[in-house]
Amino acid sequence: MDLTLLWTIQLAPLAVFALIFILPKNARGIAPLLGLTGSAAAAVSALCFLLAHAGKAGQPALHYSVDWLTIDLPAAWPLGKAVSGTLKAGFLLDPLNLLMITLVTVISFFVQLFSFYYMREDESRPRYFAYLSFFSFAMTGLVLASNLLQTFMFWELVGLASYLLIGFWYTKPSAAQAARKAFVLNRLGDLGFYLGIVILFVGLGTLDFTGLGKDAVLSALGPTLAMAAGLLVLTGVMGKSAQFPLHIWLPDAMEGPTPVSALIHSATMVAAGVFLLVRAYGVFSASEVTLEVILLLGCVTGLIGALLATRQRDIKKILAYSTVSQLGLMAAGVGAHAPQAAMFHLTTHAFFKSCLFLTSGAFIHRFHSNDIWTIARGGGRKDLVPMLTLTVGLLSLCGLPPLSGFFSKDLILEAAKHHGLAAFAACVAVSVLTAYYSFRLLFIVLFARPTAGHGHGHHAHGHDAGGHHEDLLGGLSRALPLLLLAALSIYAGFLGSPMTHSPILVWLGGHEAHFDPAMAVKTLVIIAVGCAIAFALHRDPDASEKKLESSKGPWAMLVDRRFFIDDAFVWVTKQVGLRIASFFDLMDRWLVNGVLVNGTSYRIADLGRLAVRLQSGSLQGYLACGLAVLAVTLLWLTGGSSR
Amino acid sequence: MSATLQPYLLISTLLLCLGLYGVLTRRNLIAVLISLELILNSASLNFVAFGRFHMADPSAGQVFAIFIIALAAAEVCVALSLILLLFRQRRSVDPASMDQLKG
Repeated sequence: MDLTLLWTIQLAPLAVFALIFILPKNARGIAPLLGLTGSAAAAVSALCFLLAHAGKAGQPALHYSVDWLTIDLPAAWPLGKAVSGTLKAGFLLDPLNLLMITLVTVISFFVQLFSFYYMREDESRPRYFAYLSFFSFAMTGLVLASNLLQTFMFWELVGLASYLLIGFWYTKPSAAQAARKAFVLNRLGDLGFYLGIVILFVGLGTLDFTGLGKDAVLSALGPTLAMAAGLLVLTGVMGKSAQFPLHIWLPDAMEGPTPVSALIHSATMVAAGVFLLVRAYGVFSASEVTLEVILLLGCVTGLIGALLATRQRDIKKILAYSTVSQLGLMAAGVGAHAPQAAMFHLTTHAFFKSCLFLTSGAFIHRFHSNDIWTIARGGGRKDLVPMLTLTVGLLSLCGLPPLSGFFSKDLILEAAKHHGLAAFAACVAVSVLTAYYSFRLLFIVLFARPTAGHGHGHHAHGHDAGGHHEDLLGGLSRALPLLLLAALSIYAGFLGSPMTHSPILVWLGGHEAHFDPAMAVKTLVIIAVGCAIAFALHRDPDASEKKLESSKGPWAMLVDRRFFIDDAFVWVTKQVGLRIASFFDLMDRWLVNGVLVNGTSYRIADLGRLAVRLQSGSLQGYLACGLAVLAVTLLWLTGGSSR
Repeated sequence: MSATLQPYLLISTLLLCLGLYGVLTRRNLIAVLISLELILNSASLNFVAFGRFHMADPSAGQVFAIFIIALAAAEVCVALSLILLLFRQRRSVDPASMDQLKG
């Protein structure tokens, strides 16, 4: 029964993906319905599974695997030791990925539902729903995988899905470019990931998560190699979870349709990196250095993301940078020995951030602009449902009690505090900045005076989608996901709150959270400070817009150029990458093409030219030759026999 | 009359060498054909001579000689017709000019 449910979760989206592509042209209209059915099947199965197994801490609910490849290599260069082990394929279900799979399938369902509204005017709607289902398939595969190699395969597939969906409007050059950027940066990280997998397999002979405990890794690899393996796998995480310095693809990924940003680039796929950090925590915790690096990267990412979010006009960019910074916080949580807290924050973040993104999608679709001032002047605050969910989402993001962000962020702050002052300071700074940009967004939308001509946008802005017609179905598929996700982002916090004895943390194998009044006061102070600054600066949105546009100081330039990280990448590519490439180009032209390929053929042609001289065409010459050979042969034969 | 094999063999070798020389050097296909006849005749002479001095019944060697003469007649017939055709096509019977298959 359990296995059937798992196969349903895994294969229903794939079936939908395949089905949409083989639909006849005139039946393509049911593609959204198919997508919705597939994701609903997966979500219901996941919920059934969760209900059946929730609360049973400690033991995996299901471990099903089959042998795939047995590898038995004799000791040889370059490893110098014999490698033997079995690669398996299968499902491993424990509380961690049971939580994650529920998250993925449920949010995926809501996003499909919202897409029903958001993409209704788009011509290539079937392709969109097919890709979205394909993503669900890949993501569930990633989460359910029982070993690191299987994870890696699906990891690549979600990367592909992300590429396809970022570049969904591929006729837009910026979208195509953003898709390429995301793809290339992810491959950069995945290279390290793969090497890490190889080291682990050579050392341990298994890639099963059950065999990748801290002690097993440490005893098989020794401290240095364990650190190397951890850091290499970490590069994969950095790419996928947008950690500094590979975070630069995520804001650009907002070129995709907004529901995609909600599903892939905030709630699920980018969280896969953090999920992997928790999943293979044994590999990372085998070396204290790796954990320190994770903590440092997390803090830097958190700060950079939050700082960049403070000066954006584009609502999706604000949310994207906010995602970067929250992912940094989660990584910092893992680095500070609190993987359960990180996972809890991942859960709550998934709900409130997907809620926020879908809300921004609702605004964008109605006002035909990503610009927060345009949305605000267009009368954003009169749009009640998104306004409500925006408020809930933002307050949850900055961690106002009793919304979900409060509980999860508190746990991370606490872990950071235990770990050291620097990490704690960084996390507090991130929280203040988070509160600031959240309230900035809220105040601008709330306080702006609506102007005439910006009313319900009927001016063609050429943005995400065309005009809108509200009917019951459209309105329902617009409002329902928003409200449900907002409700979930309130509810999810109680799963880990001290009042309910934090079932989720205990279930994941952590400790019960304790209510710390000092910490709660600190959180409130943090929010108050952020809120006060935002109020002081953005009480009058018109003035703050002018200020944003006119500020030309070094700080403004630094933020507007994204701390020059993109430029650094370009510079390194030009200085180092291009040189390496031109070296290989030269080698290819000169050595491979010139000496090896052409050289061989020219020498053979020379030999041929020598042989051509024999073919003189003179009959008598041939005859003389033949007679001479005959004479020599006869001499040789008779001489041999007479002696 | 000295009855030894040696003079016959010397003469046949001489014929063979003359024939070979002619085949390899003459600039006229007819002459090449004539030289070929010399080679064949040297072979017949060998058969007859060996038959006469080494066999109980010399007629076997003589039969071979007759066969060779008949064969030579047939060969000349074919070769001459080929040469005739060649001459019609190219107005030349010089073997050095027939080098179309040169590489």
